[in-house]
Amino acid sequence: MASERPLLDASPDAPSPLPPASSLLPPPQREPPLRAERLAFSVDIPDPFIPSSHRDHQPDPSASQREPQEGDESRAVFVGESSGAFVGNSIRTAKYSVLTFLPRNLFEQFRRLSYVYFLAITVLNQLPQVAVFGRGASVLPLAFVLFVTAVKDAYEDFRRHRSDRQENNRLAAVLAPGTAREFSPKKWKHIRVGDVVRVASSETLPADMVLLATSDSTGVAHVQTLNLDGETNLKTRYAKQETQLRFSQDGSIGGVLHCERPNRNIYGFQANLEIDGKRVSLGPSNIVLRGCELKNTTWAIGVVVYTGKETKVMLNSSGAPSKRSRLETQLNRETVILSIMLIGMCTTASVLAGIWLLNHRGDLEFTQFFREKDYTTGKNYNYYGMGMQIFITFLMAVIVYQVIIPISLYISMELVRLGQAYFMGADKDLYDESSRSKFQCRALNINEDLGQVKYVFSDKTGTLTENKMEFQCASIRGVDYSSGKDTDGYSVVVDDLIWTPKMEVRTDPQLLKLLRGGGTDEERMLFLEFFLALAACNTIVPLVLDTRDPKQKLIDYQGESPDEQALVYAAASYGIVLVERTSGYVVIDVLGERRRFDILGLHEFDSDRKRMSVIVGCPDKTVKLYVKGADSSLFGITKKSLELDIVRATEAHLHTYSSLGLRTLVVGMRELSRPEFEEWQLAYENASTAVLGRGNLLRSVAANIESSVHILGATGIEDKLQDGVPEAIESLRQADIKVWILTGDKQETAISIGYSCKLLTNDMTQIVINNNSKESCRKSLEEALATTKKLRITSSIGMLSPELASESAGITLALIIDGNSLVYILETELQEELFKVARECSVVLCCRVAPLQKAGIVALIKNRTDDMTLAIGDGANDVSMIQMADVGVGISGQEGRQAVMASDFSMGQFRFLLPLLLVHGHWNYQRMSYMILYNFYKNATFVLVLFWYVLYTAFTLTTAITEWSSLLYTVLYTSLPTIVVGILDKDLSKATLLAYPKLYGSGQRDEKYNVNLFILNMLEALWQSLVVFYMPYFAYRQSTIDMSSLGDLWALAPVIVVNMQLATDIFRWNWIIHAFVWGTIAATTICLFVIDSIWILPGYGAIFHIMGTGLFWLLLLIIAVAAMVPHFVIKAFAEYFTPSDIQIAREMEKVDDVNQGKRSEIL
Amino acid sequence: MSNQAVGSSSGGSGDGDAPRRNSRKPKYSKFTQQELPACKPILTPKWVISVFLLVGIIFVPIGLVSLMASRKVVEIVDRYDDACVPDNMTDKLAYIQNSTIPKTCTRTLKVPKDMKSPIFVYYQLDNFYQNHRRYVKSRSDTQLRDANKANDTSTCDPEGMINGTAIVPCGLIAWSIFNDTYAFVHNSKNLTVDKKDISWKSDREHKFGSDVFPKNFQKGALIGGKALDPTIPLSQQEDLIVWMRTAALPTFRKLYGRILVDLKQNDTVTVTLENNYNTYSFGGKKKLVLSTSTWLGGKNDFLGLAYLTVGGLCFFLAFAFTLLYLIKPRKLGDSNYLSWNRSPAGR
Repeated sequence: MASERPLLDASPDAPSPLPPASSLLPPPQREPPLRAERLAFSVDIPDPFIPSSHRDHQPDPSASQREPQEGDESRAVFVGESSGAFVGNSIRTAKYSVLTFLPRNLFEQFRRLSYVYFLAITVLNQLPQVAVFGRGASVLPLAFVLFVTAVKDAYEDFRRHRSDRQENNRLAAVLAPGTAREFSPKKWKHIRVGDVVRVASSETLPADMVLLATSDSTGVAHVQTLNLDGETNLKTRYAKQETQLRFSQDGSIGGVLHCERPNRNIYGFQANLEIDGKRVSLGPSNIVLRGCELKNTTWAIGVVVYTGKETKVMLNSSGAPSKRSRLETQLNRETVILSIMLIGMCTTASVLAGIWLLNHRGDLEFTQFFREKDYTTGKNYNYYGMGMQIFITFLMAVIVYQVIIPISLYISMELVRLGQAYFMGADKDLYDESSRSKFQCRALNINEDLGQVKYVFSDKTGTLTENKMEFQCASIRGVDYSSGKDTDGYSVVVDDLIWTPKMEVRTDPQLLKLLRGGGTDEERMLFLEFFLALAACNTIVPLVLDTRDPKQKLIDYQGESPDEQALVYAAASYGIVLVERTSGYVVIDVLGERRRFDILGLHEFDSDRKRMSVIVGCPDKTVKLYVKGADSSLFGITKKSLELDIVRATEAHLHTYSSLGLRTLVVGMRELSRPEFEEWQLAYENASTAVLGRGNLLRSVAANIESSVHILGATGIEDKLQDGVPEAIESLRQADIKVWILTGDKQETAISIGYSCKLLTNDMTQIVINNNSKESCRKSLEEALATTKKLRITSSIGMLSPELASESAGITLALIIDGNSLVYILETELQEELFKVARECSVVLCCRVAPLQKAGIVALIKNRTDDMTLAIGDGANDVSMIQMADVGVGISGQEGRQAVMASDFSMGQFRFLLPLLLVHGHWNYQRMSYMILYNFYKNATFVLVLFWYVLYTAFTLTTAITEWSSLLYTVLYTSLPTIVVGILDKDLSKATLLAYPKLYGSGQRDEKYNVNLFILNMLEALWQSLVVFYMPYFAYRQSTIDMSSLGDLWALAPVIVVNMQLATDIFRWNWIIHAFVWGTIAATTICLFVIDSIWILPGYGAIFHIMGTGLFWLLLLIIAVAAMVPHFVIKAFAEYFTPSDIQIAREMEKVDDVNQGKRSEIL
Repeated sequence: MSNQAVGSSSGGSGDGDAPRRNSRKPKYSKFTQQELPACKPILTPKWVISVFLLVGIIFVPIGLVSLMASRKVVEIVDRYDDACVPDNMTDKLAYIQNSTIPKTCTRTLKVPKDMKSPIFVYYQLDNFYQNHRRYVKSRSDTQLRDANKANDTSTCDPEGMINGTAIVPCGLIAWSIFNDTYAFVHNSKNLTVDKKDISWKSDREHKFGSDVFPKNFQKGALIGGKALDPTIPLSQQEDLIVWMRTAALPTFRKLYGRILVDLKQNDTVTVTLENNYNTYSFGGKKKLVLSTSTWLGGKNDFLGLAYLTVGGLCFFLAFAFTLLYLIKPRKLGDSNYLSWNRSPAGR
C-alpha cells in the first residue's frame, strides 16, 4: 500500500485504502482497533490499487499488464543463481575513503558561505600587490579551522568505517549453487541478488529477501524490526505455500522472481514469482528486510532481492533534517552590520590614503620612506598611480580588517554545541531508568533554540501517557466490574511446566468469583465468552520465554497493538490464557482446561467499520463471531430491541470510563448457524481470492456478517499518564510556554486527559469547535472570536495590558477543536481566524487529528509568528509535526523509532522537557548568545586597534602587531576561553531554574541576544580599542619606541582586556574556567615570546626588551583598568538598580549559599 | 516488567553493532552534572565600592610618582632643520641635494636645569613614516645575519641589487640611514659622545652578523643617507642597528649617543652639526634632543596624568555609587523584586 509515498508519509495511521472521497471524512481515530490496522502491513491484505493483488492462479490480462516486469521497471531475480548485475551487499555508511577524504571534505566545508569569504580573502592576499600577510601566515587561520573540522569529520567517519567493516564481514549461510540444502558460510559483503540464504532464529537478516520456506509448516516466520523501525513486537511474514511445499518436499528451489525496483517504502513490496509454470504474486508480507531479526522461528530460507545500499533499511537511513537555529539566523543580521563596518573602515582608510598621496604628490620621489622610483630600472617601483593605489589600499584593508567577521566563531559555535550536547546527554536528570534511554542530541545545530520555545505541540498517546495500556474496568452485560485490587498471578501448567503471563493485571474479586463458579451457568458462559473474545479476537502472538527457574516459563504477548496486549493480559489474569497461536488456530487455556479454537476468518480493522472480528470454530463445533471495536460502531450492529437495557447500561459505563480518561472498547459476539457460516465462508473465500476490489469485497463480507451482535460488554483501558506530566505542564505554563495537545483520541478522552494532566482546569472557559461543514466552522470561529474579544474587554477594564488582564482576571480560555473541523479550516481562509482565536487561548486541544493536520497546526503558528515552536511525539504519526516544528523532540518509547529518527532531540519521558527547556535550553541560549556577542566584540576591539594605528602610518595598512599575532588573535589568543565558558558557565543553578520557571522568559524575549546588546558591545569595543591604542600612543609619543615592541604591547593588551571583560561576565568560576581564562593570557605571552625569539623576524627580542621597562607594566595596568571601567560601571549599575529576574535569582542563590554556610558552621 | 527489556534480552545480543540503543546510564560526577565547586561573584555594593576605592588608592600614588619622575627629567629640544638652511636659500630641497654647499651648522643650547650624567643624545624626526608599508617591508633579515645569504635581497626592492650584485645591507631602511652628525662643546671643551651600546644587545649579538660587511652600499644614483665603513662588520655598526629598529610612530627619536658629563643649569652647549639628512622633500622636521632619564624613561607627563585621572575617576565613582546605594537601596536576593512578584498595582 502507498508504495509510491516516501516512508515518512506512509504512517500506519493513514488509511490508504480509502477511496479518495474519504479525505473529507473524519480522520481516523487513534483508538485501540487502530492498532489492529497496523497489521495490514504484516498480513497480506489486498489493495485495489496495486497490481500485485492477484495471488491466485488465474492470470488476469489487465493486471499483468500493469505488473512490474519491463526491464526498466522491474528486476528479474533467478532464484538460486547469484547475479552480478546488481550492487553487492557490502554497505558503506562512511562518507569518505582515504583518497577522497581531502577533496570531498574540503568541498563539504566550503559549502558554507563564510568559509568561501575567508578563502577569497586568503586568495586575495596571495596577489603580490595586495599581500598584507606572508603567504604562510595568511593561510593559517583558515587552515586551522578547516583542519579542526576535518579532524572531527575524519574521526566520525573512522567510526563509521569500523562499523561498516564489521557489518560487511558478518557471516551468513548461503546455499551452495547446484546443491540442495547445502548451506555454506559466506561473508555478507559477498552475498548477491539471487542467493538463497538460510537464517536461523535470532540471526539478523543480511539483505532484503523474499521468504521461500520456513521451519513452520504453514510458512510463517516472525521477525523483529527493532533495527528498522524500533518496534520490539514481532511481525508475521509468510512464505508462499508453493515454495514452502516444494522446499519441504525435496529441498529444491527455483523459479524467476520479478520485483519492483529498489525503493524506500518499508511497507510496500510488489513482485511475482514464476515457479513450475505458475505465477505467484508476492506482497509486503512475503519479504523480510535487512536488519530485522528472525524470532520464534527455527529457520527461514529466502532469496535475496535487494542488496547493500539498495536495501530498504539503507535507503531509509537518512540523517535528521538540518535546521538552523534562530540565533544563527539572527547572527547573519549582525554579520551584515559588521560587513558594512568593514567596508566603511576600508573606504575610510583608502580615501585617507588617497588624500595623503594627493598632498604628497610631488614629494614621493625623494621621500626616503616612499621612494617612488626604482633607479636601477628608472621606472616606478610598486606604484601604479593614484586610482590604483587607492584600490589596492582598499583591498589590503579588507585583508587586514577581515577578522572583524570572526572566522573562529563558526567553529567555536560547533565546538560549544558539541560540549553542550555532551552535558545534556550526561545529565542524569534526562536519563530514563525505565526504558534505559539516554538523552540524545540528534541535531547538533539548534541547541540554543531550546531556550526560546514559546509553543509546545504535544502528542498524547505515548508522549503524555506511557502508551503502556493497562486494563482497568470491564463492563459485562451491563454490570460494571472495576474495583480491581489484587494482582494474584494466574499460571497455567503445560507439560509439568508453569507458564505465567509476564504482566499481571489487577482483577476484580467479584468478577473472579463469578467466573470461577459463583453464579449461574448462563452468566458464567457469558463471562467466559467475554474473555474468550478478548483472548481470541486479536492478532497477538504468545512467546514463551525461559526464566532462571527451569520449571517456570513466562508468556510474553507480542503484538502490534498495546491495547490488544492489555486485553490479552487481562483475560489471562482472569484465567483465560492464550497459549499458542498459529495461522490456523489458537490454543486457549480456559480455567485450566486447554481448548483449541480454529480461526476460520479474520476481518481486519478498517477505519470505516472501526471494528475487527474473527470467526472462530469452537471445540464444541459451534462457529462464533467475536467482534470488538469502537462504541459507536458496535452499537450500530447490535440487536438493540432485545438488549436495550444492556446497551444503555454499557453506554453509561462507557461514558464514565472515557471521562476517567480510559480508552474504551466494546466487545460483541454472535453465534453463527451452519447456513450462515457456509454462506459467509463462500463469500469470504471468493472475496479473498478476488483479483479486483478485494479490499472492498472483504469489507462488505465483514459488514454482512457483523450484524445482530450481542453485546458482551465493554473494556476500559488506562493509558497511564507518564510520571510528572501534570507538574511538567504546570511548569511549562508558568514559563509562558503554550502547550497544545494534538491527539487522535476522541474529544471526551482528550478533554479528560486534559484535565488529568492539569492542562485544563475548572475555571477555564472552553470554546469547542466541532463542526461538519465549512460554514458552521466559520460561524463558530466568529463566535469564538467574539467571545475572546468580549472577555478581553470585560477583564481589561481598569487594566492597561490585555495580556496581563486576562491572566489577573483569572479567565483563561481553552480551545477544543477536532479534526473534522480542521479539515475545513486548515489551508483555507479560515486559518487566519483560527490563528486569532488560538492566540487568545492559553490552552488548545486538538482531537482526532491526522498526522498531516498535526503538521498543519504547527505550521499555522510557525508561519505567522516569530515564536519558536517545539513538537514532541513518539509515533510515526508525529513525524511530520516533528519535522515541521523549529525544534522536534522524539520520545523513545513504545511506538518505535520513527519519531526519534526524525527528531532533533530524543529522550525517554515527557517530563524531561522541563530540564531540557528550562535548564539546558536556558543555559544553552544564554551561553551561545553571550559567546556570539563576545566574539563579535573581541574581534571588533582588535580590528579597531589595527585601524587606529593605520591613521599613523600614512594610511598604508602597516600593522605594528606581527602578522602572526594578528592572525593568531582570533584563533588562538582569545577563542578557547569563550568556548569553555560557552560550554561550562551557568548563570543559575538547575534547582533555581526549575523552581522559577518564569526565568525561562529571558530566552523567549530575546533578552540575551538583540541589536541593542550588539550595539552596546560594539560601543564597548570602540572604547576599549581607543584605550588600548591611545594609552601607549600618548605614553610613547616622541620616544625611541620601535614598532615591534609597541606591536607586542598592542597585541597583549587587547587579549588581557577582552579576557577581563569575559572574566567580569562569567557567572561561575570553577577551576576549568580559571585555567582557561588565565591560561590564555599566559599562552598569549608565551606565543609572543616565541614569535620574538625568531631572529628572522624584525621583532626579534622586542618583547623581552619592552618587558624590561616599568612603563610597559604601568601601561598594561592602566589599560586593563581604564578599558574595564565603563563595562564595570554599566554592569554594577544595571545589576543593582534595574535587576533582571535572573540577577535577582542569582542573588537569592547567593544568599541561600551564605545562609547554608552559616547554618553548617553553627551545626 | 517492560516488554522491551525482556524482549531484547531474549534476542541474540551478541551479533552486530547495528544501531543499538545507547542505554548506558550516565555516570554521576560533579563534572558531568556541571556541578563543579565554583565561586559565584556578585557585584554587591560592598564589592563595587571597594573595587573603585582600591583602584583609586593604588592609582593616585602611582600617578603622582610617575608625574614626579617625568617632571624630574631635564630635556633640551632643538629644532634645526629650518635654522640650518642659510637664509639666502629659499629652495631647501635644492640646498640639501647640492653636495657642494657645506652643511655644517652651529647651534647653541642652554641648559635649563642641572642635568645629571648620563645625558642621552637623540635625534628626533617628525613626519617621517618609518612605519610606511613600502618602507617597513624593504629589508632582509637573513642577509643581515648571515654572510652566506648576502644575495637574499628579494624583499629589499628597490634597493636590493646594484648592477647585478647584492647590496649589503639592502633595502630602503638601511639605505635611508640618518646621516646628520653632532659634536658638542661645553665650556670650550669637547664633550665626548659615547656611541657604544646605543643599540640592543640582542640585535648586536644575534641579528646582525659579526662577519657581515657592508657591500655596494650607497652606490646608487640616489644617496639615501650615511655611507657605512665597509671594513666594520654590521654587528658593530650601531647607528645602523638603531636605525633598523623601525620606529612605531611617525614622530620618533633615535639614540645618537650618551654624554657622560653632568651639566649645570644655565650652562651653554655649542653643537656643531652636519645637516646632511634630507627631510625637506616631505616637510619633515629634525630636532636634536638632550635628555636625562628616569626609571620611567624620558619626559612624558601623560602616564602620570592618566593614572591620576583614572584614580580620581574611581574615587568619584566610589562616592557616586555609595550615594546611589544610599538613596535607592535594594535588598539583595529579595524575591519580591522578581518581575512576576511585583504587583501591577504598586506601579
